[in-house]
Amino acid sequence: MKLSALRLHNVRRFAGTGIAVEGIGDGVNVLSAVNEVGKSTCFDALHALFFQPHTGTPGPVQTLRPYSGGNPLVEADIKTSDGAFRLTKQFYGGKRAMVRELSSGRLIAQADEAEKFIGALVQGGTTGPAGLLWVRQGITGIERRAKSEEENEKRARESVLVSVQGEVESLTGGRRMAQAVAACEEELSRLVTATRRPKAGGPYALALEERDRLAEAERKLAAEVAELRTALDRRRSIRNRLNELEDREEERARQGALAQAEKDLAAAKAQGETLKTAEAEAALARSQRDAAGQALTTYRRSLARLAELQALESEATGRRDEALARQRAAAEAGRAAAAAVELAESEERQARDLLSRLEKALRARDAAERLTGLREAHAGAEAERTAIESFEAEIRALALPAAGLRQLEALETELVGLRAIVAARMPLLRVDYRDGASAAISIAGMALGDGEEKALTGSTTLDIAEIGRITLTLPQGQDGQAELAQAEARRQKGLKLLGIASLAEGRQRETRLRELETALRLGQQRLALLAPHGLADLQESIARLEAQRGEIIEIKADPEATRLALDAAEARVTTSRNAVREAQPQREAADTAILAAERALATIASERAGLTTVMGAEDGREAHAAALEATFARAEGELASVSERVESLRASAIDLAGTEAKLRRMRSIVDSTANEIAKLREDAAEINGQIRARADAAVEEAWQETSEKLAAAEKRLAGLAHEVALLSRLRDALEAARTTARDHYFRPVMAELKPLLGLLFEDASVTFDEDTLLPRTVRRNGLEEPVGVLSGGMREQLAVLTRLAFARLLAKDGQPAPVILDDALVYSDDDRIERMFDALHRQASDQQIIVFSCRQRAFSQLGGNILRMKPWSPEG
Amino acid sequence: MFRFIHSSDLHIGKRFGNLPEELRGRLRDARHTVLDRLAAQARMAGAGTILLAGDCFDTETPSPAMLRQALAAMAGHAGLRWVMLPGNHDSLLAEELWAAARAALPGNVMLATEPEPILLAPGVTLLPAPCTTRRPGRDLTEWMDRAATPEGALRIGLAHGAIQSFSEDGSGLDIIAPDRASRAGLDYLALGDWHGQMAVNARSWYSGTPEPDRFKHGEPGRALLVGLAGPGAVPEVTPVETGSFAWRSLSLDLLSGDDAATALAAELPGGSGRRQTLLRVIASGRLRPAARMALEAAIAGVAPEFAELQLDTEGLAADCEDTDLDAIDRAGALRQAAELLLAESHDEGRPEAEREIAGEALVRLFSYCDAMQP
Repeated sequence: MKLSALRLHNVRRFAGTGIAVEGIGDGVNVLSAVNEVGKSTCFDALHALFFQPHTGTPGPVQTLRPYSGGNPLVEADIKTSDGAFRLTKQFYGGKRAMVRELSSGRLIAQADEAEKFIGALVQGGTTGPAGLLWVRQGITGIERRAKSEEENEKRARESVLVSVQGEVESLTGGRRMAQAVAACEEELSRLVTATRRPKAGGPYALALEERDRLAEAERKLAAEVAELRTALDRRRSIRNRLNELEDREEERARQGALAQAEKDLAAAKAQGETLKTAEAEAALARSQRDAAGQALTTYRRSLARLAELQALESEATGRRDEALARQRAAAEAGRAAAAAVELAESEERQARDLLSRLEKALRARDAAERLTGLREAHAGAEAERTAIESFEAEIRALALPAAGLRQLEALETELVGLRAIVAARMPLLRVDYRDGASAAISIAGMALGDGEEKALTGSTTLDIAEIGRITLTLPQGQDGQAELAQAEARRQKGLKLLGIASLAEGRQRETRLRELETALRLGQQRLALLAPHGLADLQESIARLEAQRGEIIEIKADPEATRLALDAAEARVTTSRNAVREAQPQREAADTAILAAERALATIASERAGLTTVMGAEDGREAHAAALEATFARAEGELASVSERVESLRASAIDLAGTEAKLRRMRSIVDSTANEIAKLREDAAEINGQIRARADAAVEEAWQETSEKLAAAEKRLAGLAHEVALLSRLRDALEAARTTARDHYFRPVMAELKPLLGLLFEDASVTFDEDTLLPRTVRRNGLEEPVGVLSGGMREQLAVLTRLAFARLLAKDGQPAPVILDDALVYSDDDRIERMFDALHRQASDQQIIVFSCRQRAFSQLGGNILRMKPWSPEG
Repeated sequence: MFRFIHSSDLHIGKRFGNLPEELRGRLRDARHTVLDRLAAQARMAGAGTILLAGDCFDTETPSPAMLRQALAAMAGHAGLRWVMLPGNHDSLLAEELWAAARAALPGNVMLATEPEPILLAPGVTLLPAPCTTRRPGRDLTEWMDRAATPEGALRIGLAHGAIQSFSEDGSGLDIIAPDRASRAGLDYLALGDWHGQMAVNARSWYSGTPEPDRFKHGEPGRALLVGLAGPGAVPEVTPVETGSFAWRSLSLDLLSGDDAATALAAELPGGSGRRQTLLRVIASGRLRPAARMALEAAIAGVAPEFAELQLDTEGLAADCEDTDLDAIDRAGALRQAAELLLAESHDEGRPEAEREIAGEALVRLFSYCDAMQP
């Protein structure tokens, strides 16, 4: 949106008149005039047109009204992307709002519709900032907010961050927000601490304390009431119990029961005595009966025993006699056995002696035979040794060197070969005679036969009959004769060496040698057989045997029979000894039996003697037994009668223990009743005291009162808790909205602001915090100083720049809005103002800026579109 | 014609701990002086007997002074005869109370502590049913059916407790047969316990309390003047005023856009009785923040004139419209916060308590903004 004209009528000093500012263009527009011509009026009227509903008359509207009254009218022409419109508002009388289309004059909207239209222009939605950006003389959001502390230098000098935040907030409804937050915080802080705990000394904490105090008191009183009620109940029950206990009838009954129990006990005791006496009598009778029975039984047993003893005695005597007989027999047998042993032993000795002599004779004969054998062998061996020695001598004489004969054989073979060669190489002379001619040719006189071949060697002279001699000289060598001769010589040498004439002889010697060696071997074997350990040993053996040779005795007995006889004698010795050994135990057994039989006899005799003494004469015994029986029967009868008496007494006995217990019980009832009565009276007295004390203190009333107070306190507390919740919720909502708005605008505005800030600090280099986009340090004249605190002029400039940044932001969002400055730079020096002008112009390239100023001279430098006020009155 | 005053539920000694300190003394005192007002009504009507149908005392252990002062007040009206019946608050379990009362009993006071006929006057028999305990668990008036009285005598029942399922203490046991009067041939059954005045039938009445102690019934303190012409005759029953303090509840059912303060002003009782009036204003319905503030301011303004003035806004919802939000802010973060709270207060998905908190937070925000300089 851009403004193109502003008109007002009946506003403040323009009572009944009006002015118009026309031709407001793009970029910077300046309305520069001295004070009191109506610049601020224009500013306020324009503000009211956009921000005050035409129906209301709040403070800002009231200030528009002239002192003389009247109905202020404000009109503005605007351009938006939808076209050009004229907005008109009249307040007080004839209040109205209208929007017309400028081109056609058509009425677009009226009244509330018109308000809505205007609202949409300036708001850009409910969350957006005011569409028009206003900066007023010396008034920025922060200053307004911190008004009460304006004097405070510390507070006034705020950091850039806080300043810009303040600016952003004031553009996003922050001032009222801050007030609301402050109001909320104040109310909340009376109740709770920053951490939302009840604040000490605050109403909330006090209410809590009060509630706790009352709750405690209520608990205590409730306990007291409960105690009182318990005491009352207790007293009631005590009274009831006492009434029961003190009832006369009951008492009489208790005493009666006690007396009866005592009587019962006495009766029980008397009866007990009688029974005891009877029981003693019964015991006496029983012991008498037992004694009689005992005597009778004993006597009868003695009789029987005596009879028994007689039988035993005869039996024992028999046993003894038999044992004596056995003893005798055993002695006899022992003697016979000993004799047998003696005989057997002598026989054995004789047999053994004979046998030893026999063996000795045999050994002597054997030795003589062996000596003869050895002597024959020795003779044979001597002969053999002689033969061996002759063989050995012959062998030594015939022995040939081992290799000699084989070398000769090899030479012989070589000779045969050489001879064959000689024969083969020798020229042959053969003459085949013609018929008729024979033996015409001879050599050295020997005629050559027809067809005879003759070998030629050296010089041969042929005698041809009738012809002459032919000498044939053959060249020497190459005919093998020489080699042959050499070989022959070697053979001769070999034969000579061996001492033989020919190879055949050599072979004969060799054969003979082998025969001798065989004979030698056989002789040696025979010698070894005859004298295995050598002749010396053999001679030694002979010498030994000769030394041993004793006399040869001839005994006429068969050694084998003798040995058998010895064996039989030894067996007999063993058998007879065993017989002796067997006889011994039988003797001993017989001795023992005799002893035992004698002892038994003695015992029986002594017992019998004893019994006879006790029982007296034999003829009186029957009578004595009868007397004993009679005595026992009497005692028996006595016992039965006494027992009967005891039984009858027992059957009618009274339970003494039960009777005593009952008496004890009755006594304890009477005693405990008396005790209980005393105790109950005591208790009753005490409880009476308690009850009276509580009742006099009206404890129930106090309890009820405290309960009601507690309820009231709870209610109050609940109310305060509700209040805390409400305020907390409100504060949270406000904080959340503020944070959202801040986040929504702060950073983008800072981004827009950064280049503008650079302009302001032209003479210095500024570093910006990357994170907050805020100037961090300023380097001036080589000195770096942090941008921390700001002067009033600087803050003022920041306020303007922030709005410019904001306007840029809005323009970027497609919601261009004019920035309106009303004497916004009062604290700034001219130098700074010029810089601000630069900033404004730079900004104004795509932004409408309207400046109201009274500093005509300073602002003449600003340039831009100069605006003028002209008189104006509405049509019609 | 036998005339008597029928009253009950004096609750002497009640301390009103839930009310402001300075009011408590006055309320306690009023419970005492009601004896004098009852006596005055009796004398005015020519009645010689005052039947107190239970709960003369608030607790089983009133302070000795409280008891003695009450007895002394009764004794002071020498020409009148008082009959006190133990109720559920001062039942026979309160042995100390009744023993102390018996010990200091003035000649013109009778204690109806036994279920036995009492001869009130020649030809007039009283059949009392004293409460044996706080909750007897049975109908104590049953014995009246069998109680023998001289031929032609008036039979007057005196009892304390609930008929049907209503009772001052809310418990439904110990129910007195509603037709006890006809069953027992009573000419009149004087009942206590219910603090409001009520006729069960022509012969059975609850007198109500002569001096109210709570907002529940919303009626003035009254007793009953009863005249019995003769056996079988229908009793003449006349309510008589005895109250000193009025406990009133005022319902304001509001619609959005109502001017609550004006509505309140129209409903408030006149100036003269305000000092003796405890008033509870129960606002319900919906109200715009500004009207709500105005209502609270009006209540705060007039409260000092009353003995007690309470405003109950539990049933009152905040109703916000765009103009109300505009009053907070037309745009920006503040407006956003307001709209957030408004949306939250209407958000059915949230618990009731949260919605209420949000709504009230909005009203509070409204009040902040209203107080700001424009």
